[in-house]
Amino acid sequence: MSTQMVSDSKLVNPAQGRSKWAQFGTSFVADGYTMYPVILLLVIIGSIVAPRFATTTNLINILEQISVLGLTTIGLTFVVLIGRLDLSLEGVVGFAPMFAAAALVPAVAGGFGLELPGWMGLIVALGVAGAIGWFNGFMVVKVGLNPFISTLGLLVLLRGGVLIISNGRSIYSPGKALTFLGSEKILGVPLAVFVFLAVAAVVGVIFKYHRYGRALYAIGGNEEAARAAGINVDRVIWSAFVFAALLAGLAGVMMTGRLDSAVTTQGQGIIFSAFAAAVIGGVSLGGGRGTIVGVVSGVLLIGVINNLLTLAQVPSFYVQASTGAVIIVAAVLTTIASRRSSGVKTRT
Amino acid sequence: MIPIINDDRRAIVEMRNIAKTFGSTRALRGVDFTVMRGEVHALLGRNGAGKSTLVSTISGFTPADSGTIRVADTVVTANAQNYAAKIREGIAHVQQTPQLFNLLTVAENLFLESPKVRGRFGAVSHARTLAMTKELLHTWAIDIRADALVGELDAGTRQLLEIIKALSRGVPVMILDEPTAALSNAEKKILFEQVRALKAQGVSFVYISHHLDEIFEIADVVTILRDGQVVRAREPVAGLDVDTIADLMMGKKTLRSSREDHTRGEQPVLIRARGVRIGPRSEQTLDFEVRAGEIVALAGPVGGGKEALAMILAGQRHPAEGHIDSPRGLMPKIGLVPTDRHASGYVGLLGVRENVVIGGLDVLSNHFGFISKRAEVRHAERLAQKTHVVSSSLEQPVSQLSGGNQQKVVFARALCRDPDIVIALSPTRGVDVGAKEQLYALLRDLASQGLGVVVVSDEEDEIAQLANRVVIVFDDEVKDQLLGNYTIKDLVLRMEGVL
Repeated sequence: MSTQMVSDSKLVNPAQGRSKWAQFGTSFVADGYTMYPVILLLVIIGSIVAPRFATTTNLINILEQISVLGLTTIGLTFVVLIGRLDLSLEGVVGFAPMFAAAALVPAVAGGFGLELPGWMGLIVALGVAGAIGWFNGFMVVKVGLNPFISTLGLLVLLRGGVLIISNGRSIYSPGKALTFLGSEKILGVPLAVFVFLAVAAVVGVIFKYHRYGRALYAIGGNEEAARAAGINVDRVIWSAFVFAALLAGLAGVMMTGRLDSAVTTQGQGIIFSAFAAAVIGGVSLGGGRGTIVGVVSGVLLIGVINNLLTLAQVPSFYVQASTGAVIIVAAVLTTIASRRSSGVKTRT
Repeated sequence: MIPIINDDRRAIVEMRNIAKTFGSTRALRGVDFTVMRGEVHALLGRNGAGKSTLVSTISGFTPADSGTIRVADTVVTANAQNYAAKIREGIAHVQQTPQLFNLLTVAENLFLESPKVRGRFGAVSHARTLAMTKELLHTWAIDIRADALVGELDAGTRQLLEIIKALSRGVPVMILDEPTAALSNAEKKILFEQVRALKAQGVSFVYISHHLDEIFEIADVVTILRDGQVVRAREPVAGLDVDTIADLMMGKKTLRSSREDHTRGEQPVLIRARGVRIGPRSEQTLDFEVRAGEIVALAGPVGGGKEALAMILAGQRHPAEGHIDSPRGLMPKIGLVPTDRHASGYVGLLGVRENVVIGGLDVLSNHFGFISKRAEVRHAERLAQKTHVVSSSLEQPVSQLSGGNQQKVVFARALCRDPDIVIALSPTRGVDVGAKEQLYALLRDLASQGLGVVVVSDEEDEIAQLANRVVIVFDDEVKDQLLGNYTIKDLVLRMEGVL
């Protein structure tokens, strides 16, 4: 069980003496807005210390930088909400676009020699991603493996797979059909930003108002109770892995688009940032708790901090170390906030 | 071995004025209990009378709130703090379910933490452990390898091992709580022989069993509990018979509410089990049906298969053979109240509304699977009112509610998709009296509306207050059925396995 009561004394009917403010605080935290004041504070501080920070170009730049991480984190949230995890998403970010690129370009450019028509690019990438997700779900639901170990194995396998299909070389200019998502701009704003925001909005609504979202929360909170309530638990778990991989595949395609090439090291390390963003955003690793509003805040926070540190010309070694420190501080804040507001302790 | 003198005047266990409260339930209200040397002392009482709680306070497994306990020369004044370590040397407690390590061998289990096999610096002698285990297994005439994994053994052998482990500690007092529940007749015989042999050496036993015939066979004296109080202390078993014991166990309890019969004439069958074999151990298949407007109870000993039958009906478990169908063709909608609300009832993180709604995601969502917030709130509110849930708001996390309210939320969830049948397992376990009555009223109300209600319960009172029909299930088979105007005595005797 991931939840327990903090103490009995806290339980004395919370209805008594609850002010409007306390209620506001509870829903503020529960809906995932905890980190937004922190982000606002950082933006204000940032505009004072670094004049270049508060420019439109820079802010759009931040959004573009976080959109890949954002999609991966939203994908990860599907599986974390049901109390599982998926490390192989990082592998999907690299493997799916590489596979698609290799299927498109001629053999001389490092492809399979299939030379599929350009418009197939996105379909192949997402198809591969979906198949990987299906395999993960199969391993967890049918074979009964612990997702940590099965997806860890797959992550390493996919890393190697990228090198095998690309022969260790990146594939450049895989074609417009695969790269437009990451390279096009609409009114000066990268298409990737719109994709990220649109996905966030759709998934946010699904989590909140769709029976599928309700099932995710129920399974994460208490799997047996969900089963007893008549939810097809196995099918939901399985599909969560598929959705997660699809979103990671989409993230990979956008990354390839931005770089105009499928790079062999693409996506490396992204799963750790994704976990950090999810936890900062209030997603409980024990399952059953977390919102898309929160996930977006976690991704934004990481993006803003990275950007600020770079603008402040902090040496890159320090950027990495301070990101780590920020993750820990933010996770502590989120945990305390959620405990204070609801009296329910979560294992983050 | 020199036998310890049996007529030692001083009792080996002496408990005075023991009290224990769980939440709002007063499990023990000032109980005195004495065990003499070399006697088998049976503790009798109905489910919830306080037998298991009492023996747990002797061993310290559940510390008593107040009172004094003396075991051999150790005196403890209870104040709800843990005192198990103090009296560990004087007492061994075999609980209803074996507490063994499945991934360790028989020998390792028997001599875990035993000083007998320990050398210098805590080194454990493997050879000595195996030799001593072989000797023990030989005395008990059990034919298993000393280095077999406990997880591979059947339930009866594991139960015996648990008993052997406790007996081999050489303590003067043994508590056996339902030791024969998983034993075959042959194993039972071995156990009784060992008990008699140890008794001759002056070891005392506190013996709890649901099988009165065992009490007559092995016990010397009997103490009967009812509602956490002693109604008969230290009665010689020779002067008692089944009827007297049953009367004493039940007392003249006035029912708080009584059952109603909503089965007017022949109501249609909603669901039926045809040729179902619950598990591989049952020799016969069973047929069972639920009619509209009736409340049928499944009763019988713990582990006898009544829960399994209910879960098969609910479609949550596959029978070993046979199938479930409905004469109406279409399968009826079923609302399930699972047996343990903490394990499988509610989702503690989620609020009342979300908990209720997960029971009916399919009926509350539109073609695209989206749920209308307004309709959802209205539906959850109506059900929360119907089940009398008290919470600060519909959004309050269910983990913060009291036990009774949590259970009402589980009922509301079961009713969420407008079921034709409600299957409730242990519907009022750990629920206070007020909430209990509300839930009973709810179940009667559902039956009067033409729903089929199946209740699985260990409590005779509960069954007697609710059920128009009682089906007795044990050994995974339907053994008996009570219809219409049965008395609570009929019920108790059947549930105790006497009739």
